[in-house]
Order: sequence, then structure tokens, then C-alpha cells
Amino acid sequence: MKNRLSPYYPLLPVFVAYFALFLVGRNVEGTWQLVATLLFYCALGQAFNIFLGMTGYVDFGYVAFLGVGTYGMAIAITGLANFPQLGLGIVAIGFVLAIIMATLLSTAVGAVALRLRGAYFAIATIGVNEGFRFLIEGANLWNGSSGMIFTAQLNEILGRDLASRVMTLWADILVLFIGALAAVVTLLYMKSKIGYALTALREDEDAAKVMGINVTKYKITAFITSASFAGTVGAAAWALKTPYVFPPEVFEIHYTIEAIIIVMLGGAGTLLGPLVGALIYGVSKYYLSIFLPGVQLFIFALVIIFVIVTFPEGVVGVIKRKTRNTAIGQYII
Amino acid sequence: MLKVENLESGYGAMQVLWQTELEVEKGTITSLLGPNGAGKSTLLSTILGSVRPWGGVIYYENQDITYMPSHKKVGLGIALVPEGKHLFPNMTVYENLMMGAYQKDAYARSRESLDTVYTLFPRLKERSWQMAGLLSGGEQQMVTIGRALMTMPQLMMLDEPSQGLAPKLAGEVFETIEKLKYDIGLTILLVEQNADASLGTADYAYIMHEGKIKASGTSEEIKNSKDIREAFLGI
Repeated sequence: MKNRLSPYYPLLPVFVAYFALFLVGRNVEGTWQLVATLLFYCALGQAFNIFLGMTGYVDFGYVAFLGVGTYGMAIAITGLANFPQLGLGIVAIGFVLAIIMATLLSTAVGAVALRLRGAYFAIATIGVNEGFRFLIEGANLWNGSSGMIFTAQLNEILGRDLASRVMTLWADILVLFIGALAAVVTLLYMKSKIGYALTALREDEDAAKVMGINVTKYKITAFITSASFAGTVGAAAWALKTPYVFPPEVFEIHYTIEAIIIVMLGGAGTLLGPLVGALIYGVSKYYLSIFLPGVQLFIFALVIIFVIVTFPEGVVGVIKRKTRNTAIGQYII
Repeated sequence: MLKVENLESGYGAMQVLWQTELEVEKGTITSLLGPNGAGKSTLLSTILGSVRPWGGVIYYENQDITYMPSHKKVGLGIALVPEGKHLFPNMTVYENLMMGAYQKDAYARSRESLDTVYTLFPRLKERSWQMAGLLSGGEQQMVTIGRALMTMPQLMMLDEPSQGLAPKLAGEVFETIEKLKYDIGLTILLVEQNADASLGTADYAYIMHEGKIKASGTSEEIKNSKDIREAFLGI
């Protein structure tokens, strides 16, 4: 008899990996900084995978959602600094605001850009990212190009001790939870009608349409879900960890590129792929920057070309294919 | 069953359909003929709604469906088998067929539909666990037709189903289309380049040229009209 929980087994390796990362970071001296970076990449990949992996659309403006998420948290903390009695409630409001702002932006972008396909979609999204950044700077929105610094307000709201613990530890743990939650949502999507619709549209959008699948609806659903996770990643990993925000930093396209590398390397559309991609990318970037500083991106360009030519389904895609119908196979999707 | 009046549509600034008029009667095979670029595929896409109509009206069972989104039209029983074998290559034959039963009503009756498909194409039953991308051209065409059947259509529009197939297989496609009409009771709107074979199976035919309907009649009339044959069909 098939176990009722067996569809959720693939989450086990994900949770084990996050737990192991956490244990290593807390117990091995001097590794927390690396682990925190890895957690950020994991969450970033896991969130981006919901859109890129499941729909096959490449969004070059993805970092914009992390950016507005960061602003969401910044606005909550600076705006509510006069109500320190709310304490951690303000951080919670910050997350809600981050999600709302990322959702609004992704709805607006998705409604327009998702009418385009392939390369045209990718180009349009680069425009959105740059456009939004220049809008903030040019229209002097949220302090414009001088950005927002809210370390003082965070200290005031949470107290100096808690604030410093949030910055050095809890922000990263929140990122861990966001990554794990994104993985859970990915699996739920995969196992539901949305997942089938997205797989169909990734394989052949025209065919999916004539099957009576409302492709636009599912594309936008995946886009908004992915974007709101990105918003929370921005709020936790950027706004809470380093309590300031400058437009050129949070709309830096290179984070999008990293997210694409992570997802493609690990295996687009797989559950475990973003995690594996993030670990490979994060660890090798860390050591490359020590031993061969300055050439990491060049090396990764070659790696990603190699991956796409030789095994476009990514590391986990290959493992999934090899372990199909074996005992391990049920844990890897 | 299907009635198109003054339909106009196109892509961007380029108009393709000009005041197109067409009618498909229930239980018949209607053939739409014409040279490349006449707008035949665009007409089918516009009827299904993947290309937006610019003007005119589309009636289906006396209901105005001109601006209905395509997934709702599929729910009403309109299916399109698109040109060029649009399969899901990395899914098995069975999964491809089940994608056709995506909508709730179709899914509820998917078991019966699957039986129908396997009776029509016994080969697909043998191949049900194979990746669709690895099938031969003829088998892929069976999957696309089978998958469209899974949506439980009343009206099936086929866009060049014999394209790229060997003559023998193309002949089988026309046999299949007759089975769809006689055994399953579907109404067919068939777009074909192969005018001779198409007129052989069809009850009615329309000739399309440069986005306009130039002639129509029973397939006998079209076949026997020397002017039409010379001007548009070259047979």
C-alpha cells in the first residue's frame, strides 16, 4: 500500500540539507559567514525556481523583487520607529509589506511582460529592473539615490542586543526558513493541477493552450509566488542583516545572473536542484575568490556553458533520471 | 454548429482575415482549402481564441463566443489539433493524453475517453509508457489527435494533420478523420494542403485565398468546378 505521506518524501533531503548547514554554521568556528551566504543562495534559487524552473521563462529583472522587498522592510522600520512598543511586530509588518510590494510589482510586470515569450520576455524584464531603479532615483522616491539607512531605528525598536542578534543570526535563520518554505510550496505546486499546467506550458505553450489550460493564469500565479518569496528574501537577507538600502545595490542585475546560474546548474524545475546548485555555486565562489580572485564569474560562464551543452537538465536532473524507479528515487524530484 | 460572420483578425498591424464567412454543420466534415498564406491556420486559431478577433462574430451552437478565452471554448467542446505536432516531448504518451483531460469535466470522464483513444489507435496503448518525443511522425500525429479527443470535443479542428507524413500514413490520417465522424460522432473542420484527399473525405469545402473565402459548396461541386480547380487548387 502506498503511504499517504510518500508524495512529501522529497522534502526530506531538503530539510536535512538545511539542518546540516545550520549545524555546521553554528558549531564549526568561522563558518557562519559562509553558511549565511549559502542560505541566501539557497533561498534565492528556491524562490526563483518556482518561476524559471517551472515555467521555463527567464526573468532577467528578478532582483527587482528582492529590491522592493528590501524597501518594504526599510519603510516599515523607518515609518514605525516612533512606536518601539510594537517591537518585533514591526519586523512582521515589514515582511507583510515586502510581500505586498513584491506582489504588486510582479502583478504589474507580469500582466504586461508575460504576454511576451522567450527572448522578448527576458529583454522586457531587464528593462523593468533598470526602469524601476531609475524611477526611485529620479523621482526621489524613498530618499532616491541617497538610499535609506535604518540601523538606528532598528536598534531603537528592538533594543541594541536583540537588534545585533537579529543582524548577525536571526536574519540568516529567517532566510533558511524562507528557503525551506519555498521548497514546500514548490512541491505543493508540483503535486497539484498548477504543476501539470506549468509543465505542459514549459514543454509547449501552444499545445497547453489548445488543451484548455489557462496558461496566462498559471504563468502569473507562478510569477507572483516566486516574486513574493523574493521579496521576503530581500527583507530578511538584505534589510534585516544590513539595515540600509541603496538603489544601485538592491537592483544589481548580477544577483539575477547568480540566481539563473544556481537554478540551471542544480536543475531547473526540480525540487532539490536550487539547493544543490546553491551549494555548488556558493562554495566554489567562496574558494575561487580566495584562490583566484576576480575570475569567478568568468569561470562560471564556462561552467554554465558546459552544463547547458552536456546536461541541460542540471545536476539533480541527471541524478533524478539515473535513480528513477530505485529506492532513492522517491526522495529526488 | 459553428458559424463565422465577417471575421477579421491578424497579427500586430498585419491583417490576415478579411470578412471571413464560414459555416460548419453538425455531423459533417468541412474542408478548408487554399494555398500557403491564405489564412487557414489563422482562421482556426482565431476561432479557438489564441489569436484575438478584430471584428466579426463567431457563433457556436447559436452562442456568441467571439471574445471568449480559449480555455473556456475548449470547455464548450471545441478542440484544435495544431499544425506541426505540438507534443509534450518529455512526457510519456499516457501523460500527453491525460493532459488533454486537464479540465474538470474531461478529467471526470478520462477513463472512457482513454478507452476511445486506445480503440481508435491501438498503437498508442502499446506505446503508452514511451516518451512522446521518441515516437515516429505518424505516431506523434496519433497522440495529438488522441490528446484533442481527451478534451471531449464536439467540434474538432485539424490543422494540416497529414503534413510531413509518408503517403501511406497520410492516407491513414484521412481514414482516422472519417472514423472520428462516423464512429465517434464528431463534427470536423479540416485544413489541408492535400486538396484531392481532403475533398474525398469532406462533405463541404471552402476555398480560401488571401484571407478571404473565394468559393464554397459541397465537395462534389468544388471538385467538379473547373474554374475553382484551376484558379486555386492546381489539380
